[in-house]
Amino acid sequence: MDGRDLFDLRATLQRQGIIFAFSGYMTETVLSGVGEAIKQKLTIDDADTKTLRSVFAVFVEQMQNIIRYSAELAAQSSAADSPLLEIRYGIVTIGQEGNEYVVQAGNLVAHKDVERLRGRLIKIRDMNKEELRALRKEQLRAAPEEGSKGAGLGIMEIARRASKPIEFDFTDVDDCYAFFTLKASV
Amino acid sequence: MMWKFEIPATARTPAVTFDFAENHLKLTGESYPEDVTEFYKPVFEALDTYLAKLGKGSCRFDIELIYLNSSSAKAIMMLMDKLDAAAANGASVEVFWYYDREDDTMQELGEEFGEDLANAKFHLEKMAK
Repeated sequence: MDGRDLFDLRATLQRQGIIFAFSGYMTETVLSGVGEAIKQKLTIDDADTKTLRSVFAVFVEQMQNIIRYSAELAAQSSAADSPLLEIRYGIVTIGQEGNEYVVQAGNLVAHKDVERLRGRLIKIRDMNKEELRALRKEQLRAAPEEGSKGAGLGIMEIARRASKPIEFDFTDVDDCYAFFTLKASV
Repeated sequence: MMWKFEIPATARTPAVTFDFAENHLKLTGESYPEDVTEFYKPVFEALDTYLAKLGKGSCRFDIELIYLNSSSAKAIMMLMDKLDAAAANGASVEVFWYYDREDDTMQELGEEFGEDLANAKFHLEKMAK
């Protein structure tokens, strides 16, 4: 075999300052394990408590967004009496840019969902901390949005923990899907 | 009557220590369970049973969380609503929110929850180091 392909992948990641990368089917166990490694690495880096908690908080919300909402999934239709086995695909990276930690997540979304998601992201991105606080309180009381398995609060939590406005992008993949990227700096 | 309700902490779920005999209830640690509803369901049931019998009695609830994710925040809000409702019905309820002095996000979150309490007494405190 030739190890160069894998080494090149690693080199590409390192050039971008990425210290953790996970691409694949996400589970809550992956979240726990990688999350623990992030805490240890930031402790070794001597990051302050607030930075460590914020990087971790953003990572958890990014992972749970993929676990719950990624449009790319593997599922096994099962017997009526056993739960549906379903795992979703995405990519998450944690890196450093200058003095900041950067958490990026990417996953497929259906084209039909892009405009609604983009609208929500723009609204949250352009809010100051006070407006974000007010919206969060309002949303916490509101019933979960249709098609939402959580309280729809994840993106707001990411924006609140980030030290500058969140960034995002939608790249066309094919007729059905776009690749959604969300970037937050801490 | 059950006098105690306890769930030990895990890496992703807080320790639940409800000492009903002492009217002292506590939630300590981190909260980002795989399934928020599943984790908090028995906690709410135990709390509901206790609060229903509290009447004009008094109780203290300590929340000492280092970290909670956005879906846990919803559960904490529901918990606060239950405590506030008991206070509205005549109980004397005090809620203590402890935050890590190095993480002002958790302090702000405490303030936000505190603002919504109309009847229970709310205290915001720094965690002991």
